[in-house]
Amino acid sequence: MATPQAQTKPWLESRLPLGAAWRANVSHYQTARDQPYLATLPGLILGALIFLALSGAVLSLFYVAAEGSAFHSIQFIIRSVNFGWLVQSFHTTGTTMLFAAVYLLLFRAILGSSYKGQGDLVWFLELKLFIILLLTGWLGYVLADGATSYWSLHNAALAGARLGGFPGAIADWIFGGPAGPGTLARMAVFHVILALLLLAVIGAIIVAKRVVAPPVHRNPVAFHPYYTAQYFAAFVIFALIFAILVFFAPHLGENHLNLAAGNPLMVPALLTPPWYLLPIAAIGGVVPTTLGGVIAVIAGLAVLYALPWLDRSKPGASTGFLYKLLVFILALDVIALALAAAAPPSLVTAILIKLFIAWYFLHFLVLTPLTSATESK
Amino acid sequence: MAGSGTEALGHGGANAAGHAEAEGASKRDFLKILTIASGAVAAGAIAWPFIDALNPTREAEATARPIINIGGIAENTAMRVEWLGQPIYIRKLTAKQIADNQFVVPASLPDPADFSDRVKPGYDSFVVVVGLNTGIACELEGNSPSDPRGPFDGWLCPCDGSVYDPLGRLRSGPAPKNLVIPRFTFLNDTQIQLG
Repeated sequence: MATPQAQTKPWLESRLPLGAAWRANVSHYQTARDQPYLATLPGLILGALIFLALSGAVLSLFYVAAEGSAFHSIQFIIRSVNFGWLVQSFHTTGTTMLFAAVYLLLFRAILGSSYKGQGDLVWFLELKLFIILLLTGWLGYVLADGATSYWSLHNAALAGARLGGFPGAIADWIFGGPAGPGTLARMAVFHVILALLLLAVIGAIIVAKRVVAPPVHRNPVAFHPYYTAQYFAAFVIFALIFAILVFFAPHLGENHLNLAAGNPLMVPALLTPPWYLLPIAAIGGVVPTTLGGVIAVIAGLAVLYALPWLDRSKPGASTGFLYKLLVFILALDVIALALAAAAPPSLVTAILIKLFIAWYFLHFLVLTPLTSATESK
Repeated sequence: MAGSGTEALGHGGANAAGHAEAEGASKRDFLKILTIASGAVAAGAIAWPFIDALNPTREAEATARPIINIGGIAENTAMRVEWLGQPIYIRKLTAKQIADNQFVVPASLPDPADFSDRVKPGYDSFVVVVGLNTGIACELEGNSPSDPRGPFDGWLCPCDGSVYDPLGRLRSGPAPKNLVIPRFTFLNDTQIQLG
């Protein structure tokens, strides 16, 4: 039995209320004035992910995920496929832009301590995004099958095989053994699955952020056109930086040794990952054993997860100057850690890496509770 | 967006607020159209490499459209080339074969086809066909004058005995159709391009 209202609505709207969803979430959605441009970062991350999915879909048509063929199939894409050089560059530079946006998102969340109170779920989701992105980025780096990619996968699979018990079983499920047949094909599949998962996580972040946004009391403005225009401007700037990198620095932050094909009989002189994996790789590499490295990586991410509890400030208290200063120092510390990890190994860089990692843990485990507790008094 | 609107209102001043509002609106319309138009151009420019990458590569295009030299084919023999996994027969007819087949009434054939349907205008003596029997797929015999060719001096299927004439038209046998003519063009008297 149709109600009179259902009859007056158009056919599609009465079955799938897209127009109502548009009004509720975009055209009539009330937003506070003076939102900073960087508040568009989740939207930019979503856009970058969609762009990477599109370019990755094109690359996957020509990519051959097999040992000994993968590197050459990428060369074929770059040299022979129509606009293949551009699509390949879109994918690698898009990754750089995506990681830059996610690192900036985490930095802003820590700086503004938005992980406190109701924002804790958003913070956990952002960390989930970061961790899945690190895995996806590493898988993509491995798929390149260059000299350092090859040895990164080789070492990871070998280390996984050395782990016994349950961790070893997980490693076997992922890699299919130390020199398992079709390891690269597995990596390609996981790369795609995790990338799709990232789309779901960023969607959850955008929804959860809106739910916990403080209610607007004074002079709200509609999301459209005021903030769609802001999104547009932010997107143009994002795209401009992206275009400059694509056309003038397509290999930014890559180890140039990875531009040669992987050789099972020759380890490259400098085995460093792309820039976005450098800090986490440095933390994982500081402990000599495999299990120790895994635990170090987990610890490095766990302190981020623990941030809502490590921050001892009272709910509703604004962040103090010293806390913000320390967060800026933390950002410099992570950048310095990446630079030290990218440098050729020597005694000095080994000491520096240990110092920077020590400061990283000191910041979260000691300085954050101390400053937040004293400054909120 | 809001900034440009208030700026236009400010230009209008207090004396003609309504006029200024109209001017602001037209300016906003213009900016809107400009933004949407440039956005559409940008979206097209981004989409183009992705779509063009789906096209065959130039190498694939070149191998898919080979140029065949037919100057060396002797009369009454056929040349065999492989193209896209199929045997292509290029046969040079004799004057007698042309005369025998030119005026056959098409309605008398199992799969009616005229002489002009089977050869390119101006190149009467060349027949280009896919050399596979149209019944059970079997490569035909009869390229060389010494091969068994059947009663019409054309091609014979060694598997089911279907008989074709030199134009590749079916004359008898279990096969239902004439031989398939691949897509090709004559570049000049001695070269054809397949595809």
